[in-house]
Amino acid sequence: MRKPLVLRHPSILVFLGVLAVFTVAVTVLSAGYGTGAISTSMVKTLGKTLCLALAAVAMDLVWGYAGILSLGQMAFFALGGYMIGMWLMVARTEGIVTGTLANLPIPPTDAEISAAVATQIFGVVGSDKFPLIWAFSGSLWGQLALVVLVPGLLALVFGWLAFRSRVNGVYLSILTQAMTLALALYLFQNDSGLRGNNGLSGLQNIPGLDAVGQEKLSVWFLWASALALGLGYLLIAWVASGKFGSVTRAIRDDEARVRFLGYSVESYKLVVFVLAAVVTAIAGALYYPQAGIINPAELAPIASIYLAVWVAIGGRGRLYGAAIGAVFVSLLSSWFTGGRAPDLNLGFYIVKWVDWWQVMLGLSFVLVTLFAPKGLSGLVDLFEGLRPPRRRGAALGPDMGALREKEAVE
Amino acid sequence: MTALLEVRGISVSFDGFRAINNLSFEIGECELRAIIGPNGAGKTTFMDIVTGKTRPNEGQVLWGEGSKSLLKMNESQIARAGIGRKFQRPTVFEDQTVSENLTMALSAARGPFSVLRWRPSADSVARVAELAEEVGLADQLARKAGELSHGQKQWLEIGMLLAQDPRLLLVDEPAAGMTLAEREQTTTLLRRLSERHAVVVVEHDMDFVRRLDCKVTVLHEGSVLAEGSLDHVTANPEVIEVYLGRG
Repeated sequence: MRKPLVLRHPSILVFLGVLAVFTVAVTVLSAGYGTGAISTSMVKTLGKTLCLALAAVAMDLVWGYAGILSLGQMAFFALGGYMIGMWLMVARTEGIVTGTLANLPIPPTDAEISAAVATQIFGVVGSDKFPLIWAFSGSLWGQLALVVLVPGLLALVFGWLAFRSRVNGVYLSILTQAMTLALALYLFQNDSGLRGNNGLSGLQNIPGLDAVGQEKLSVWFLWASALALGLGYLLIAWVASGKFGSVTRAIRDDEARVRFLGYSVESYKLVVFVLAAVVTAIAGALYYPQAGIINPAELAPIASIYLAVWVAIGGRGRLYGAAIGAVFVSLLSSWFTGGRAPDLNLGFYIVKWVDWWQVMLGLSFVLVTLFAPKGLSGLVDLFEGLRPPRRRGAALGPDMGALREKEAVE
Repeated sequence: MTALLEVRGISVSFDGFRAINNLSFEIGECELRAIIGPNGAGKTTFMDIVTGKTRPNEGQVLWGEGSKSLLKMNESQIARAGIGRKFQRPTVFEDQTVSENLTMALSAARGPFSVLRWRPSADSVARVAELAEEVGLADQLARKAGELSHGQKQWLEIGMLLAQDPRLLLVDEPAAGMTLAEREQTTTLLRRLSERHAVVVVEHDMDFVRRLDCKVTVLHEGSVLAEGSLDHVTANPEVIEVYLGRG
């Protein structure tokens, strides 16, 4: 009796359509499968951008819908990357080491191979043994499970402690910042078991696929990222629609009232927080093989703040707004900071965008917050003609005289 | 008549100020009761204690046939046990439609995962329409709650309480800020509610209480000063002294 989700919310269909067209277009223009108009590194940048968009969509669920301004989302993103990175590093190093040792007169034992791999990986931090947390690093499925389990469990424990104590608002934001900072500082240590500040590298080389080449691999990852973004978007749109979404938005607007309706606010927040953490972690697991390297700097508090800025600029409370914000701002940011943007000569001063981009971003964040709280996605309303009349408080005329300016929108 | 809610000797103080002082109170099934009292008499604090928002320093709050203590339960558990609350200023979810507001309040499983799987059924749609009819919002279902007038918001909130299907309704100043016509409609609504639910109304306005025509409890400085019909309590010299004398 009910129309399917995508028909009730046509914006989902539009989003998926645009995503599909984008993916096909990039494929046709890529070096691996098409004309080569888009360089392999650009394909990677676009693929990474899709992962960031997925993280932003998850952030929008947490912030825009449930009202939890989490400034630690990138901790989950990076943890997802670390988990997949462990397998990538071990499997690849194993391949190289086996190749070298095969030339010895006596074939090496498994223990010898394992020791050689460990020396190879942990030599930089002065160790030659696998730390305990690498127990599953030999198994792709094991590490894939950890991509979901480790960030999910962290979010569960952190969220349970924070929500149960009814930590709210700015205090919760500070707490999430502290979480990602503490994790980053821990991972910076050499004996944390994840190669300290060296991080994990060489992740762009996928074991067993050396023959494929980066031109094609980059497109494969773009496909995977687009698929993940599409599915993640659908999942979150489904969660945010219907009664669950209704309760979530109600919690954002008046938490105490929701309690008196009989809903356990804490469990709802926890479900939303853990779900978002898991989706973010999957985005991270797809991002870092395209980036090639991950180190603890990725967990810096500023990274999570950027995510919030993207969502704010794109328009929070709308999933496509978050995705638009992430794509727009992160691409613009890599253009400006990549040194390719021409300097602006003002005569008395030369504006170097590499230095001034941050100022621009900060300024536009302030401007958006003050003058366009709906962000970039407010432009969609403009197209649909959903603009509140601007009468500066004057009456709206005889037929709509009873309505306030804001009400007259619908 | 066995009591639905029994409050025994509760006291609570905030920073040394005794907001509730050895208060005892009882209400039976399907009873309509008005609580009156001057500002600071502890009316709202009393509601906060029953609904779990505030914990008393001493005393007992017992609920239902099994005389279960409410003091060990949190707000959402108490709400699920069957106590609904209406706040002084209308608190509806302004960003959502009337029908979404009512659907949220509809009695159904409250856990996150069952809500995630919840789908509107013919029954639920009909129930929402019926509730909207009952509180006079039948033609406003698709409107955002934020667009309703003050009085309509109050009714929507009462409708949401009905949707919860509680056994006891606590209503805080339902007539505040209403026009005369809206007050009369609210009186009728409350009287009709009390046919199937126990209702406690906290109110300032004497005329409104008179129209409710029910047993009245007068609170003063955190304890019960007098109880009985409105005529009985208004004849009480102490009541006249602390309450009516000032008006």
